[in-house]
Amino acid sequence: MAKVFCFSALKANSSLLAFLLLVISLSPSINAQTAEDAVPERAVTPPAAQGAAESGQSGEKAGEAGSDAASEAVRPSLVMPATDAEAQALLGKMADAVTNLEYRGLVTFEHVGVMETLEVVHGVRNGEQVERIRYLTGSHRELVSRGQDARCRRDGSPLSRAGLWSSSGLENVQNLYHFFIRGEERIADREAVILEARPRDPHRYGMVISVDRETGLPLKSMLVAPAGRVLERFQFVELDLAPIDDAELQPQSSDARESDSAGHCGSLVSRWRLGWAPAGFKAVATRELADGEMLVFSDGLSAFTVFVQKLGPEMNYKGRATRGATVAYMDHIEVNGTRYTITVVGEVPDSTAQLVAKSVAAKN
Amino acid sequence: MSHGNHQQRLNESLSALMDGEASELEIQRLLKECDASGNDLQQRWSRYQLAGNVMRGDKVAPVDLGLAASISAAIADEPSLAESAQAPAANDAADTGRSRWWRPLSRGAVAATVAFAAVLGVQQMQSPQRGGDMIAEVERPAQQPVQSAPQPSGFLVPTLNTRAVSTAPQLVPEQRVGVPSPQVQMVPSPELMRHLNRVMIEHSEQAARVGSQGMVPFARATYGERPSE
Repeated sequence: MAKVFCFSALKANSSLLAFLLLVISLSPSINAQTAEDAVPERAVTPPAAQGAAESGQSGEKAGEAGSDAASEAVRPSLVMPATDAEAQALLGKMADAVTNLEYRGLVTFEHVGVMETLEVVHGVRNGEQVERIRYLTGSHRELVSRGQDARCRRDGSPLSRAGLWSSSGLENVQNLYHFFIRGEERIADREAVILEARPRDPHRYGMVISVDRETGLPLKSMLVAPAGRVLERFQFVELDLAPIDDAELQPQSSDARESDSAGHCGSLVSRWRLGWAPAGFKAVATRELADGEMLVFSDGLSAFTVFVQKLGPEMNYKGRATRGATVAYMDHIEVNGTRYTITVVGEVPDSTAQLVAKSVAAKN
Repeated sequence: MSHGNHQQRLNESLSALMDGEASELEIQRLLKECDASGNDLQQRWSRYQLAGNVMRGDKVAPVDLGLAASISAAIADEPSLAESAQAPAANDAADTGRSRWWRPLSRGAVAATVAFAAVLGVQQMQSPQRGGDMIAEVERPAQQPVQSAPQPSGFLVPTLNTRAVSTAPQLVPEQRVGVPSPQVQMVPSPELMRHLNRVMIEHSEQAARVGSQGMVPFARATYGERPSE
């Protein structure tokens, strides 16, 4: 009898030990996962409790965004589809703030796991935007940009920023992106509303923008690839809305680049056309370059530029180049015996850039 | 006399049995005799066996013929099951019941403690390696306010790198289908890099004007090396 006890105890003992060892071997891998920022695991817990609190805010019923056919993994019920009016209001407020507001601040700019900090200053002089941006980490880089031509801004044609945000422009954007209000957060010591623009087709990237409640300025903006992968994050650490004096708009380092585009409205009629462009992308600016042309297309939130240039024969690279969230796709086209190099640059998926580059043709 | 003859016949049968030549009838008779006479026949049998072993030169071991008898006596001396069953039955059951789950559990507890200590030891060893990720790990818990998450849930943010990343564009040449060319290491010429840099900056400046992302495109525009004029 004693022997029977010993044997069953041994079995129970060893199975318990085996189970413990299994759990232990799994737990370091779980720790590694959280260290690698697998956010979806953690995300399930907080929003469920707050869905009730947040749903009182807007007339929308708390739609479970998981019903969306898109490929996101976990969608808490906190996310609500934004009504047309809400989305338009937010976007309009944002466009206005970005153009007309004077501000300075410190920003973190992150992509592919690299984070840099910048100092930004935005001023308005004579109806023109003057913007200065200076990198505080890494090598010294500074840019001062002035001269958004007043004419360009104010007319209602699609070539202008104002045109894009007219009612037709906003409707267009609604057709291309699905807007969600993802709740609120606090950034740079200010309250912000999180607005997500989820693309309705795979030809563009999505965006998550935290819009300041008070002013409408985007305090944080993330560019998001289809799988929920964040490609780029631009976030204010500190924001100051006091008026800007001229001294702050002067370059602080000796090798700052100055970019001046006064007078360049970009209304040239191009000799090139696109055989295919993703839905909703319209030509918003066309400029002539020394060796060719550049055509800018935008759908209201994203933009890409097509460069068609006569470059030397040694520039025969065919393929893509990426830096951060920006992709550049290069290709060639022969027209009347002359070789032109096409470069499509934008914050769009690689496949989009490639398809666009291959569809460039001369207007006849 | 018949008894003597009977006995004599039995002895003959016994020796025949020793040689392996006894017939069925004789074996039956011997067995019946065994039951009846008790030790007598068995002693004779052992004597015959001993004699045979000695004649053959086999080693002989002393055999205690009374072993079986003594065991039987001892068993007979034990109290019968019926008597003892009831009194200790209750005690025994309780004892076995308690120890039944207690003992494996206590052993399991010891095993668990040992395993736990091993885990702690292993994790101590592992944690210094993750110093590179500490920035990300520390950043997230501090940022989580009650209302919302720092990045909206459902998004994956790449971990921060501690190495410096080159600001030059990464090139991926187009794969030509059907052309069995070996993998050519792409060495981008300076002109190509300059061109790419320039187009990226030009694009970003345009995007800043066209979109409503504020200064984000300018951050991209300034990111790369300045194009050498």
